Amino acid sequence: MTTSVVAEQEILTSDMPVNPSVATANRLGKIYRRGVEEIYALRDISADFRQGQFYCVLGPSGAGKTTLLNLLGGMDVPTSGNLAIAGSTVMDAGRVRLSEGARDKLRRENIGFIFTEFFLMPTLTAVENVQMPLLWSGKEDRKYAVELLERVGLGHRLTHRPTEMSGGEMQRVAIARALINRPRLLLADEPTGNVDTKTRDSIFELFRELNGEGLAIVLATHDRELATRIDHVMHLREGRIAER
Amino acid sequence: MEYLRLAIKNLLRRKVRTILTLLGIGVAIAVLYSLLEFQQGYEKGLQGQLDQLGAHIMVVPKGCPYEAATIVLHGGKWPRYMEESYFDKIKDVDGVSQAAPILMDAIIDIKTKDSKIFLGITDEYGKLRPKWTMDGPGFSGVKAQETIMGTAIAKKLGLKVGDTFYLKQDAAGIAAGKDNAQLKVVGILDRTGSQDDGFIFMPLHTLQQIFKLPGKIVVVLVRAEKIDAGSMERTTADLRALGGNMNVFPLSELLNNASQLMQVTKVFVLAIVLVAIAIGAVGVLNTILMAVFERTKEIGMMKAIGASPKDIFALIWTETVLLCTAGGLLGIGIAITSSRGIEWFFRKALASQFSALPEGTLIGVSSGIVLLCVLLSIGLGVLAGFYPAWRASAVKPIEAIRGAN
Repeated sequence: MTTSVVAEQEILTSDMPVNPSVATANRLGKIYRRGVEEIYALRDISADFRQGQFYCVLGPSGAGKTTLLNLLGGMDVPTSGNLAIAGSTVMDAGRVRLSEGARDKLRRENIGFIFTEFFLMPTLTAVENVQMPLLWSGKEDRKYAVELLERVGLGHRLTHRPTEMSGGEMQRVAIARALINRPRLLLADEPTGNVDTKTRDSIFELFRELNGEGLAIVLATHDRELATRIDHVMHLREGRIAER
Repeated sequence: MEYLRLAIKNLLRRKVRTILTLLGIGVAIAVLYSLLEFQQGYEKGLQGQLDQLGAHIMVVPKGCPYEAATIVLHGGKWPRYMEESYFDKIKDVDGVSQAAPILMDAIIDIKTKDSKIFLGITDEYGKLRPKWTMDGPGFSGVKAQETIMGTAIAKKLGLKVGDTFYLKQDAAGIAAGKDNAQLKVVGILDRTGSQDDGFIFMPLHTLQQIFKLPGKIVVVLVRAEKIDAGSMERTTADLRALGGNMNVFPLSELLNNASQLMQVTKVFVLAIVLVAIAIGAVGVLNTILMAVFERTKEIGMMKAIGASPKDIFALIWTETVLLCTAGGLLGIGIAITSSRGIEWFFRKALASQFSALPEGTLIGVSSGIVLLCVLLSIGLGVLAGFYPAWRASAVKPIEAIRGAN
């Protein structure tokens, strides 16, 4: 059974909107093994992430935020529990049900990723960076890439390279890149970790707008102030959902 | 944007490293290309020279047959003679279609190292050269004080038909009692493209008289009736059975032996070139592997945004194949543009083993060798790129991202 995300403002399951589910985790666990040592990165995580909702995973470093995002993005597989992403069962009854290739495809078609360090290709222009995920699906859609850059306020920076941009601009390019495949779920790992407060706020406003358009967003952060602005907050501490 | 463009942009990111790697492959391929072209050019050149000789078998006095062949092909002084009377025996051997006796001598200017090569010939020589055309009436008799000149030497000496050529012996020649002579120019050959262009011809007996070598000849060129292996073997055996102080060897044997000698040199040099190419390949592998290590985070990001291991493998492989192919093309370009210099080097380097390297351009452009070098470069890229591409494809996005965050 899927249990709730423990939120600062509310228990999600109690008044959850009926939007379709984008990712569902049930008693999810992740153990890393280093020699004979076992490190419990996540334990008993249950949550239902729904379309059009904005979720925050809040916790200090080492709490398991990135691990959870990696599992939700299909970049890693859980050790235990059940996990379904975009209607596909990734893990069920303790067994991985999707191959790595299938998870790559699932991620390519349904999930957008944003990282703290932007990870833009230095040799490519803004519009080329945005188009890059299309390369893996053999598509080309420069028009949509330009549209997205305009959408994030960088219509005037199309042919600029990352070295010619500010941190905030680079993160906006990364956001546009995450949206190019029209994802259902946007996973953002400390997206404002490398920018100043003003830029952080403007990027957050962009997330708000995208969320308002129906995109499900899961944002991992240790920024408590930022978390207060997000509807659903999951507190993570030592790999578990904490009661605050 | 496609794979190729992304691969090119990635390679251009580290320009100096890419250029150095390109040069490593390029130089190795340039040497290989030059060597293969040289070998091919050498064989063609030698075959061409032998074809121009118009003979199938060479009969020379005892001694090193290759030295004799060199003298016959290029002209010169070879103080070994045989009796002219052998010629009568040779021409009567079964299977011999035509035979031509030749005496050869040279006068070398010690100061300028300039040499004048004289060939004493008979009518039979002309029969081996059916394509000869010339300006002038030709020899009037077997002892006439006349000369026919190759076009190059005539031009060099500034002589034309009807002029007189003054043959002056050098000090050693005078000491040996050889005569100076005045010879009327009775013919100037049209350009043959062979060594004949540089020779001064005169009747055999005239040369014998001037150089005080009565009844002597240096070589008899033999044209066989049939040139299949069995017939050649029989004719050669019959000629050898004549005995005397003679060496009989078919020119095909000379070509084979010279080719084999070149082959041995080629194998040796080829081994060195292949080692150079292998070092180049290891250099490429190292370059790409370093780039993969440096770009681990970036590769992780690519996977995070949807690239499969196959996509990453293809990208890194494309980069390597591109690098090697460009290196190969660069090498071929280097070899072609500096072919004269490389040929000069080969000629110098091989001079001790091949005193008779054919004249003319030996390093040219042949599509077969270009294709071979390009394919080798691509193959090199395929091999050298496999491991780095595999390493890159195995990068775990999660580890790469964790490394960054």
